Amino acid sequence: MIASIDTVESGLAVCLLMTAIGCLFDRHLLRACWLLVLFALLMSTAWWYLNAPWLALVEVILGSALTGGGFIYVLRTLPSQRLWMPRYDRTRVEWPHRLTKGLLIIAWSIMLGVATQFLLPDMALSLTAHPLILSSVVIVSLGMGAFALHHHLMRRLMAFNVLGSGVFLMLAGMAGTSPSAQALITVGLLIAWLGSLLGVLLLRQLVHQEGSAALNDEYAPVRPPS
Amino acid sequence: MIWRFGLYDNTFDPLWMTDWALAAVLLLPMVFGALGAVFRPSRLLPVALACLPILLAGGVMVLDYQQVGLLRWQWEVAGIELTLRLSGLSALMLLITQWTAAAVAVYTPGYLRLTLPNASVRWLWPLMGLLVSALSLIWLAADLLILYAALESMGLAAVGMLLLSGKSAALQAGMRYLLLALVGSLAFLLGVALLMSQWGTLDLIALEARVEPEPLTWVAAALIGAGLALKAALFPLHGWLTPVHENAWTPVSALHAALVIKASLYILMMLWGILLPETLFAPRLVAWLGMLAIVWGGLVAWRADSLKTLIASSTVGQLGYLMVAFPLVLGPNIAPLPLSLAWDGFWLHLMGHALAKAAMFMAAGNLIIATGESSLKALAGTSRRLPLSLLIFGMAAVTLMGLPPSAGFTAKWLLLQSMVLTQQWLAVAALLAGTLLTAAYVFRVFRYSFDETAPRHDYQPLAPGMDAVALCLAVAAFALGLLAHFPLGLLHGGGA
Repeated sequence: MIASIDTVESGLAVCLLMTAIGCLFDRHLLRACWLLVLFALLMSTAWWYLNAPWLALVEVILGSALTGGGFIYVLRTLPSQRLWMPRYDRTRVEWPHRLTKGLLIIAWSIMLGVATQFLLPDMALSLTAHPLILSSVVIVSLGMGAFALHHHLMRRLMAFNVLGSGVFLMLAGMAGTSPSAQALITVGLLIAWLGSLLGVLLLRQLVHQEGSAALNDEYAPVRPPS
Repeated sequence: MIWRFGLYDNTFDPLWMTDWALAAVLLLPMVFGALGAVFRPSRLLPVALACLPILLAGGVMVLDYQQVGLLRWQWEVAGIELTLRLSGLSALMLLITQWTAAAVAVYTPGYLRLTLPNASVRWLWPLMGLLVSALSLIWLAADLLILYAALESMGLAAVGMLLLSGKSAALQAGMRYLLLALVGSLAFLLGVALLMSQWGTLDLIALEARVEPEPLTWVAAALIGAGLALKAALFPLHGWLTPVHENAWTPVSALHAALVIKASLYILMMLWGILLPETLFAPRLVAWLGMLAIVWGGLVAWRADSLKTLIASSTVGQLGYLMVAFPLVLGPNIAPLPLSLAWDGFWLHLMGHALAKAAMFMAAGNLIIATGESSLKALAGTSRRLPLSLLIFGMAAVTLMGLPPSAGFTAKWLLLQSMVLTQQWLAVAALLAGTLLTAAYVFRVFRYSFDETAPRHDYQPLAPGMDAVALCLAVAAFALGLLAHFPLGLLHGGGA
C-alpha cells in the first residue's frame, strides 16, 4: 500500500518536473503556454493528493484557466503581419551570460538544499523520501535560472509562474496544508495571476510601441529574420 | 525590542466606535477610489470632501489609542487566525500615510487638468485608493498572512500607478519594476514558508516567542530581507527607482517615494527585530551598504541633469541614513539610551523624509509644468517668476539637508547622538558627508534658478491649490521637527 502511494507521488513529481522543464526551455511560445496550463493542472492534482481540494479548485481556476488563458490570449490577439508577436523566441543568449546564470542556479540550489536539510532531517538519509519536495526544490532552482537567463519577457513571466508554483509546493510540502498555509498559497496564486496579467498586457503594449519583447538593454526582435 | 512594535497582548478591548473607524480606514479609500473612477473629479473640493471622513476615522483611532493603549483585533475565519493591532508606531505611520495621501489626492485634480493626460487616467483613483488601504493594512497587520497580502496588493497598485503615464520609457521602467517586485515577493514568501514550516505559526507574537537563532532562521531572514530590500530600493538594489520616477506622473512619484518604499522598510525592521534580535553581522552589512548609499545617492544627484532624477537619487541617499541606523536598533549590546535615541531618530527621519519628499516632488512637478521642461537648465530665471514653487522646494530641501528647525534636523541629531554614544565614527562621517552632498545638489538647483540673464519664457500658470498643498507638506515637515514631542510621545506610548 505504502509502495503504491509512493509511486503515485513519485510519478506526479516526475511529471511536474518534466512539464516545468518543457515550459521553461521551449522556444516555441505557444507550446510553452500550453505546457504551462498542463503544469498548472498537474499542480492542482498535487494539491488534491496533498488533501487540499479547495486549493486544487483555486489552482485550476487561477493557475491554469486565468493565467494560462491570459498568456495564450495575448499571444494570439496581437495584430497580424507587421507587429505580430513571435510565436518563437529567436533571441541568442551569449555564453558568458549562460555561465553566470548557471553558477547562480547552482549557488541557489545549494542554499535551498541546505535549508531543506535542516527542516526535514530524513531527507538527509534518503533524497527520495519526499519526491514532491525534491521536485519543488529543483523547479524553484530552474525557474530562478530561467527567469534570469531569458530575455524574452513572456518567457520571463512564464518562468516567474513556474517559480511561484515551485515555492507554493515547497511551502505545502514543508509546512503541511493547514488552513493558514492554504490561505497563504491562495493569496500567492492570486498575486501571481494579477502580476502575470499586468505583465502580459504591458508586454503587448511594449510590442505595439517599440517592437521589442525585451527590456531596453537586451533586445529581442519580434519579427523573424526574413 | 518587540514591545516597540506593539506585539504584545492588549489590556482593553477597542470601543465599538473604533471598530467602525477601523472599517472606515481600511475600506473607505477603496470605495472612494472606485467612485473616483466613475465620476473623475476635476475640481479640488469633492476630493477634499472625500478625504475628510477617512482622516476623521484615522483621528478617532489615534485618540482611542491614546486613551486605552494598544488596540488589538483578532478574528478566526475558517481556521485561519487574522490579527490586527494599533500600536503607537502604527498610529503615527497611519496618520502620516493618510495626511500625505490626502495632500497628494487634493493636488491631483489640478495636475491632471494642466497636463491633459491620456485615457488611462480613470485608473488613477482606484489604484490610489487601493494603495492607501494596503498601506494602512501594513501598519496595522500583526500576522504574516495579512502582511503578505497587503504588501503584494500595495506593490501591484504601485506598479499600476507608475505605468499610467503610458510613455514607452515608463512602460520599460514599469516592466522592470514589475519583474523585480514579483521575484522579490516570491523571495519573501519563501522566507515565510521556511518560518512557518519550522515554527508552525504565522502570528508575529507567537513567532517571536518560538523563534530561535539557528541557520534556518538566518536563511529565512536573508530571503525576507532580500525581497524587501529589492522593494524598498535599498542600495545596491536601487537601479529600478530612478527610471520609474523619471517617467511617472508627479502625484504618483510623490506617493511612491514618500510611502510605498517606507512600507517595505518598516516590514524589514519589524521582521528582523523578531528573527534576528541582537545579531551582529546582518544589520552591520545593511549599515555599510547604507554608508555607500549616502555617498552614491548624493553623488548621482549632484551630477543629475533632470530635476526628477535628482530627487529620485536623493531618495537613495536619504534611505542610506535609515540603513545606517540598523545596527543601532537591532545590534547586540546596545545600551538602552543609544537604542532609544536611534529608534526615535529612525522613525522621525522616515516620517520627515516622507513629508519632505512628497513636497519636493510636488514643487518639482509644478516647476516642470510651468517651464514645460524637466531639465535643470530650464530652471533659469524661475526665481523671479515662480518664487513660491522654488521656496517650497527649498523648504523641503532644508528637511533633507537636516538644518534646524526641520524634522530632518531633529532626526539626524538623535541619530548622531546615538552614534557618538556607541562610538560608530564611520557612520558619523557618512552622516556628515551626506549632509554636505545634499547641500551641494540642492544649491546646484538654486544656482540654475537664480540665473538672471536667462531669456524670458512664457510660463504656464498653475491651477489653484497646487502650490498651497505642497507648501502645507513642507511646513508639516518643519512642524514635525519643532513639535517632535507629539510623535515621540506616540512612539514611546508602546511601552506604557
